Amino acid sequence: MLQVLLIIFLISLFYLSIANRMTTYVNVLALQGVLLFFVAFLELKSINTLNLILILLETIIFKSLAVPIFLKYVLNRNHITREAEPYVPNFVSLIITTVIVVTTILLSNTMEESYLDKMYFVVALSTLFTGLYFIASRRKIITHVMGYLVIENGVFVLSLAVGNKMPMLVNLGIMLDIFASVLILGIFLNKIGDVFKDIDVNQLTNLKDY
Amino acid sequence: MLSFLLIILAAAFFTGIIIRTKSIASGRKGPGLFQPIKDVVRLFKKGAVYSETSSFVFRIAPTIYFSSVFVAMLVVPFGQSKWLISFNGDFIFFAYVLGLGKFFSIIGAMDTGSSFEGMGASREALYSMFAEPAFFILMGSLALLTGHTSFQEIFATLHLGSSITYALGGLAALVFLMIAMIENSRMPLDDPKTHLELTMVHEVMILDNSGFDLGLILTAGYLKFAIYGAIIFNLFSGTISYEYAIPMFFVMQAFLAFVVGMIESFMARFRMNHNAQFIVVLSSVSLLIFFGALLVSGKFI
Amino acid sequence: MIEIYLIGSVIIGTLLFFNRGKALNYTLIWLFIALQCAFTIYACMNYNKTESTYFTFDSLGIIMLLTATIISIPAVIHSHIYIEESEEKTPRSRATYFGALVILITAVSSAYLANHIAVVWIFTEITTLSASALIYHHRNKLALEGTWKYIFICAISITFVFIGILFLSLAFAKVGSDDLSYKNLLAHSALLNLSWLRLAFLFIFTGFTAKLGLFPMFTAGVDAKDKAPGPAAALLSSIVMCMGFVGIFRFYVVVANTSLLHWASLVIGIAAFLSLFIAAVYMIKVKNIKRMMAYSSVEHMGLVMLGIAAGGIGYYAAILHIVLHSFVKSSLFFQYNQLYRVFKNKNIYQLGNYFKYNTTGALVVLLAFISVTAMPPSGMFVSEFLIFRSLFDSNQLILLLVVLLLLTLIIWAFAKNIFKILFIPAVNFDESTVPVLSPWRSVSQFILIGGAAYLGLNPPPILVDLIKESILLLPL
Repeated sequence: MLQVLLIIFLISLFYLSIANRMTTYVNVLALQGVLLFFVAFLELKSINTLNLILILLETIIFKSLAVPIFLKYVLNRNHITREAEPYVPNFVSLIITTVIVVTTILLSNTMEESYLDKMYFVVALSTLFTGLYFIASRRKIITHVMGYLVIENGVFVLSLAVGNKMPMLVNLGIMLDIFASVLILGIFLNKIGDVFKDIDVNQLTNLKDY
Repeated sequence: MLSFLLIILAAAFFTGIIIRTKSIASGRKGPGLFQPIKDVVRLFKKGAVYSETSSFVFRIAPTIYFSSVFVAMLVVPFGQSKWLISFNGDFIFFAYVLGLGKFFSIIGAMDTGSSFEGMGASREALYSMFAEPAFFILMGSLALLTGHTSFQEIFATLHLGSSITYALGGLAALVFLMIAMIENSRMPLDDPKTHLELTMVHEVMILDNSGFDLGLILTAGYLKFAIYGAIIFNLFSGTISYEYAIPMFFVMQAFLAFVVGMIESFMARFRMNHNAQFIVVLSSVSLLIFFGALLVSGKFI
Repeated sequence: MIEIYLIGSVIIGTLLFFNRGKALNYTLIWLFIALQCAFTIYACMNYNKTESTYFTFDSLGIIMLLTATIISIPAVIHSHIYIEESEEKTPRSRATYFGALVILITAVSSAYLANHIAVVWIFTEITTLSASALIYHHRNKLALEGTWKYIFICAISITFVFIGILFLSLAFAKVGSDDLSYKNLLAHSALLNLSWLRLAFLFIFTGFTAKLGLFPMFTAGVDAKDKAPGPAAALLSSIVMCMGFVGIFRFYVVVANTSLLHWASLVIGIAAFLSLFIAAVYMIKVKNIKRMMAYSSVEHMGLVMLGIAAGGIGYYAAILHIVLHSFVKSSLFFQYNQLYRVFKNKNIYQLGNYFKYNTTGALVVLLAFISVTAMPPSGMFVSEFLIFRSLFDSNQLILLLVVLLLLTLIIWAFAKNIFKILFIPAVNFDESTVPVLSPWRSVSQFILIGGAAYLGLNPPPILVDLIKESILLLPL
């Protein structure tokens, strides 16, 4: 069951790379939150119940509810246009995402370690690199933030892989998630929406080496 | 023999179910279930009109198309029994025989000298090109899982046991369904109802055919749907005995037709340049299935 | 004592943030400086003791803590002057500035002393927060852009460090214990799984380069130093860079005791060389004096990491160099405020003939230039020379030649700009609006540069012992 959920997670990455509209990105992030909720529930069996409930609550409330609602609020308030404007066509993004997944699978083959279920490693690393690619290939600032949230999801998957032995690390990961999301989303995106009328990364080029 | 008869029977009502589903979903009553058969019979009685600018290619293309689909039908097994053509690597034969038919329909379309048909032909060629890796990777992973390379042997020995193989099987069925939609030029890639020049893909290729040829092409189209339905059925039913398998076959074909009708009723067709993306997504998903098969068969890690 | 220090600083910071009265603010900030000095003295007296299980007063920590305390005193003095003289001073911006300053210095000092990798990570996060509040001080469009870039890249880097920690715990799995402190990691270094350790090192190194100012994440630091107010930029380019260095160095000690030493040195060497190359390219191009100073920091960090990669005497030289660089670079940034007061502009074309308007300040700039480009008799000459010697000792002659070439380019670019600022009159400069600046403002910078020269040329034996103690665990 766990593997099925992780495979669906990978397919959501493919879908993210060909999606066109901003609301689709937000919906895929919410879907990933729900998937991670189930993965956490199935995987973390040997930590104490209170901790587990905390982690589950954080996943479902934060990743699937709070952040998507807040993102939609920001989208509405700043009148961001519906299209996600990438620098490369979606077709090329899809090919690059596929190459990332295949490379991660091949890379995981060189690890001679049977301790970790390889699937976690593959999913985590491919999510991480896909998130980085998103940040690099999209034009709007808010898609940078969404790419960062995708990276966060990947980190969460990886922390689940070691969560049974060291639950403190899962908690630290959640703290990072909340801290970074609140800071980046809450404070600065609103400020940037107020100051820069058009949320376009091309506006952020004033600090160059003139 | 069994699979042959079953596919012909299924083809008889498959398209009818699709059209009926679409009609009921839009609130109409719709034509009867056997209306497509009656259309084809009517067309067989008519004579064909050939343009003076076309050559012998235009005359033989529909026949070759129909016979290629017929030969492909001979490869598909049913359950444990093989049929006329079965040898190692016969799924490659299957794919390329269908490819031969498609090639002839493409050049037949271009032979008419009309730019509409040329445009449709190029689009058709593009989509088939992108769908090919998906099909082969999928069949390759199935071959890897079972260790055989012939259709009949693969399906006979395919055991779906653990949840991950069910997941892979479900995913494979989905990919096959999408490939079927691509090959038969259905939504979400191509709308068979639209006759606007900018948006036709397959319909435009057969615009100039008439009479007996059109009847052959339509029949071949119905048969292709039933063939893909039979393959999807075979994914799940390798080891079931005949008394259960035959009714289940018809039920599954009807269900597939219903699903196709629903998809067509509720989805709009993709923008033209998104079509290619969508097909490459299928190839990526089938790559995932391939790696999953490697994982399950233990040849990896 | 460390709990008292942390709680005290948090209380002072919060009070500073919420309180808007001027006199109370200044009292609080001097109270914080007193607390910081008291804590440093306490740390020196309790050498090698562990407190609260997560903080150890070891040799590297004490060196860095002393540096931080020494630099934070002139930082506070110059912050006073800066805030009083700036045009848009509101009580709110002053309160935020000083509150964030306190939190920054506290977080950095605690990160120096932490002996558990997760604790270092937490304090690095806090540093990002407080530094961004400092950068956003002017609250205009350019400052927002700089802050956004800084926060975003630092957030990604922090995530990388976290992933590295996760991989480290995977590498640690066979050992069976739960404790990720450096001491424990060193004790079990033979049992660590090498492939996971490789990944952990890559990710932790990449993450900390955002703070250290090395390739690939140096861009955050450069933009931040450009936009931050002068004293804050001084802190960002001295003690925060030291924090990045401490983060990488402590983990490098662990990795160096396994068989991955050669591979890790290679990774660090490549990153350091690329940083030098990029710094050289940009220094030739750049026209903004603050960015020039920021790229010069990148170049020096490249040299420091080259020393680490080369090994041998390079370890000693690297630590010495980073301490001296902190002193000299911060004095340069402190002097920058006076430069800006005279010329009201950052563009090098608009600056010039500084000797005429502010003789002591221009002397500081000249001395700082001599130190930064590592000409004798500055202290940095000694450390750079030792780094070159370590490269020579490890038979990296071609690398040494290319590095010397790049450094020559950098010296040329830097000299061109500095001499223009000092001696050549600026275009269209209106002399009537130049304020007369008191020479006492430059006293702190003379002390810092002189101190750097003294420490480099004639290091007191206690400093030498401390540095040797910190590199004790590294194989030769």
